[in-house]
Amino acid sequence: MTIGMKRLAGALALGIAAAGVAVTAKAQTPPGVTSNEIVIGLFGPLSGPLVAYGVDPLNAAKMVYDEVNARGGIHGRRIRLVIEDDKCNGNELVGVVKKLVTVDNVFILHGGSCTAAIAAAQEYVLREKVPFVMLNAAGDNAVFPATRYMFGSFQGTQRVYGSALAQFAVKDLKAKRVAIIVHDDDYGKANLAAAKAVVERLGGQVVAQERIPPAIADITAPVLNLRASKPDAILSGAYPAPAVLLAQKYGEFGMTAIPLLQSTQGMPTPSVYAKNVGNPDALKNLYHTWSFNDIADEALHKKWVDMYKKYYPDREPGPFMVTGIPSALAVVDTLQRMGRDLTREKFVEAMEKLNLKSDVMTGPLQFGPGRRDALRSVVVVKFDGKTQKVMPGIFAWNGKDGN
Amino acid sequence: MSLVLQGVASGVVTGCVYALVALSLVIVYKATDVVNFAGGELVMIGAYLGLLLLLWFQLPYIAMFALVPVAVFAVGALFDRITLRKVGGRALAKHVDLVSFVVATIGLSYLLKGAVRVVPFTEEVRRLPPLFSGPPVFIGDVVLQRQDLAIIAVTTMIMLALWLFFERTLLGKALRATSQNARAAALVGVPVSAMRMAVWGLASAIAGIAGVLLAPKLLMTPDMGAVVMLAFAAAIIGGFSSLPGCVVGGIALGVIQNLVGIFISPQAIAVTPFFVIMLVLLFRPEGLFGESLALKKV
Amino acid sequence: MYGAPPPKQLAALGLLVLAGFVLPHALPDYFLYIGNLLMMYAVLALGLDILLGWTGQFAFAHIAFYGFGIYATALLNMRLGIPFVLGMPIAAAVAALIGLLIALPATRLRTVYLALATYAFAECAQWVFRTWDSVTRGPDGLRMSAPQIFGYMVGNDRDAMPVIAIILAVMLGATLYLVRSRLGRAFCAVRDSEHVAAASGIDVKRTKVLAFTISAFYAGVAGGVYTLFQSFVHPDGLGVWTLVLVLTMIVVGGSGTIGGVLLGVLLLGVLPEALRAAPRGLLVWQEFAYGLILILAIMFMPRGLWGLVIYRLRRKARRGPPPQAVPVPALEREP
Repeated sequence: MTIGMKRLAGALALGIAAAGVAVTAKAQTPPGVTSNEIVIGLFGPLSGPLVAYGVDPLNAAKMVYDEVNARGGIHGRRIRLVIEDDKCNGNELVGVVKKLVTVDNVFILHGGSCTAAIAAAQEYVLREKVPFVMLNAAGDNAVFPATRYMFGSFQGTQRVYGSALAQFAVKDLKAKRVAIIVHDDDYGKANLAAAKAVVERLGGQVVAQERIPPAIADITAPVLNLRASKPDAILSGAYPAPAVLLAQKYGEFGMTAIPLLQSTQGMPTPSVYAKNVGNPDALKNLYHTWSFNDIADEALHKKWVDMYKKYYPDREPGPFMVTGIPSALAVVDTLQRMGRDLTREKFVEAMEKLNLKSDVMTGPLQFGPGRRDALRSVVVVKFDGKTQKVMPGIFAWNGKDGN
Repeated sequence: MSLVLQGVASGVVTGCVYALVALSLVIVYKATDVVNFAGGELVMIGAYLGLLLLLWFQLPYIAMFALVPVAVFAVGALFDRITLRKVGGRALAKHVDLVSFVVATIGLSYLLKGAVRVVPFTEEVRRLPPLFSGPPVFIGDVVLQRQDLAIIAVTTMIMLALWLFFERTLLGKALRATSQNARAAALVGVPVSAMRMAVWGLASAIAGIAGVLLAPKLLMTPDMGAVVMLAFAAAIIGGFSSLPGCVVGGIALGVIQNLVGIFISPQAIAVTPFFVIMLVLLFRPEGLFGESLALKKV
Repeated sequence: MYGAPPPKQLAALGLLVLAGFVLPHALPDYFLYIGNLLMMYAVLALGLDILLGWTGQFAFAHIAFYGFGIYATALLNMRLGIPFVLGMPIAAAVAALIGLLIALPATRLRTVYLALATYAFAECAQWVFRTWDSVTRGPDGLRMSAPQIFGYMVGNDRDAMPVIAIILAVMLGATLYLVRSRLGRAFCAVRDSEHVAAASGIDVKRTKVLAFTISAFYAGVAGGVYTLFQSFVHPDGLGVWTLVLVLTMIVVGGSGTIGGVLLGVLLLGVLPEALRAAPRGLLVWQEFAYGLILILAIMFMPRGLWGLVIYRLRRKARRGPPPQAVPVPALEREP
């Protein structure tokens, strides 16, 4: 016992001394910044059920940073990444954030693919005043209400998708009666609220709102409810598997005269979606939102895919790869604009002035005082199973509908 | 009215799939006292094996349909031989066995899910081509896919085959004897551990077939094994020890889910099977078809 | 075996509390957070083990009681301004009461029926957390305000650690007493054979109901602990996965033994953090490895790691001086 106590006391003394050293070192330069290096904590789900949303996007973000380093870094500093796996699990993500901030002493945090997990870390980063840039989460619950240190939604929030589809349905397709089907979760709630607000603002009527469980096995009942409401258009915020089930039943029940409008999360790769639906009839009247320019611009798509293959030769990029790019571009752009004088507070101020018109996204990536969601405009695409046609116009969310 | 009829018809079809998975669970439970929490993952690897055989090995559909049950049979039988025989071979108190068995099957479920998930191809939702395709069939106002009819037909055939197997064949009778009283069966010369392996294989093969049938309908993700909870609900309605009970329970559950979706709210669909499990166990713990719980094995 | 636990064990509890006061001054937030998380899991796992390892009731409802504990403590604080020292016991008592109500019908069931009925209850509870928007904020998750202890705000891992260490020490101490009490012996008797237990004058049904209630109380306390160092709760975290994690901790560590449960919590809590050092390409195998560990543990360590450790100690003891064996019930059944 006495030996144990002595050892414990020794370890504690060492720990306290180390902490003291860390504190004095902290006072001189901001954490994670040296004369030739900026440390960024990069994380996403690299294992577990949501791994699809993490590996490629994180690789893509890393690729953007690697390209910057290859061109000599930013104002003479190279970017060094500390990469962690958050499993899209709240408890785990909070642990990762605390590790990156207090053990790895990163300058900023860049990561997170799931809004609920990110929201769990929000209080901590606000208290510690560490800038947190989301990797590729839609992020509604983490950016509304806006907080000083959290930035995100680089492909648009669910509010943006719901609003875009509703505008397109009422204005372009002249729908009066609109039916909405979404998931029974935070994304679905936000999507539904925005779509409903827009439909009603534009003089239409929401005739059905179905909230379905994400793991639904038989989608017959909600689709029958949709049909019974006799809508002029159906808006869907479903995820990939239920989105396919929805389109199948919609085809089966002979509802194909009614336009079906799908938010982007339901069809990460449109061609795979079409193959899964398996019924060309069900795709006759299909539209979906899209946040990237790669449909209109084949060359752009090829550029990113080729670059990805250069960095990761043994991995075929999945559909979510591009979603990791815009947030990394925004971080790089902000660091470029800041010059050599880096502090976390100045990073927040510079990030707030972001107005990045990248060739990747359908709209500008912008923040502002009281605004922490980057992308507010998307396009609507008509997809018949083979060709994709970008419909004229950009559909912007007004910052109010559905809040 | 056509709304309700359509809901019922689709519910019957989905219910048949639940019933198949439930059959697999109940056969295992009756013969070996193991609650198989990996039942859903056996369905899942059945589906992915089917896709692998079709896309990678370019096999014809019929060959795939024959090979998948064989492969999944092997997975189940090996799991019993390697893991469960070792776990069950220990003379511990009964409850320890139940917990150990369940934890072992939970382990298997993570193992299978994890093995599938490392292949990036599975990151996207996939679909197996249906057994029969073509325009949908109309029965009055009710629409059904050809695949739906195939599901009903295959479920009926498997049910009949199982009934014949357990009632008419020597092997089937030996299996039943093993599940009723393993010690007595061993005394009359039934090779009990080989029987257990065969049961695990058989049940897994049924789960594999369910996977092939289900994949065109429910779509494939590494998490599709979650369907096992619906199968548990179906089995509980049927009493957890009766094979016809599974089919009735599955179909009842499929129909109830759709009626809840139509008349109450689609939000409540998710909780329906669990609510049903609780109600049945509260008011009729032996299920609709089960033997009395008081009847204990010697 | 009756009476107070040996002084050595009580001293260990004192050491735990001391560490809870000292460590926050020595370690960065990350380690404190992991420590707090592990201590919370320890309370959760000790409670589940009372039902599972001691009484032999295979029930899954634990995670629901944990959820009740979290939401009740947080909402009492946020809506009614009830401070933590009052709110957490109330929340735990509510969890215990629900546990009691569940136990009355559930104790009629055995084996698979009990497991599935309680599993179904846990799923229903999670659905309620997700759907009862006006109270739990539903799928948006609930942002909790910092709890107060005697007017003092507990807003971070540093402040929370001493409090959590005290709570864990109290719960551990209670468990040590419980093992040695008449009730603790009754739990084990019911597990080993209900017939024998009934024959020796134990009211089996009452014992089972008490096990359910006490176990639910522990889960409720663990829920209260959660509100001390976390700021956000989402229904997704109250599903099967968390339950399986706790179950794994118990089984790998050694069910029915306090030391085993603590060892399991430590091991499975630290494992994912240790794996952070693994090459990135291997991370995706984690789920597979997790399954494999479970299967291997069940195959080769029927009494968990703790069983192995004790077995080794005993073998050594035959040669050397006799070690002080930890008096836990399951060890009395020789393998």
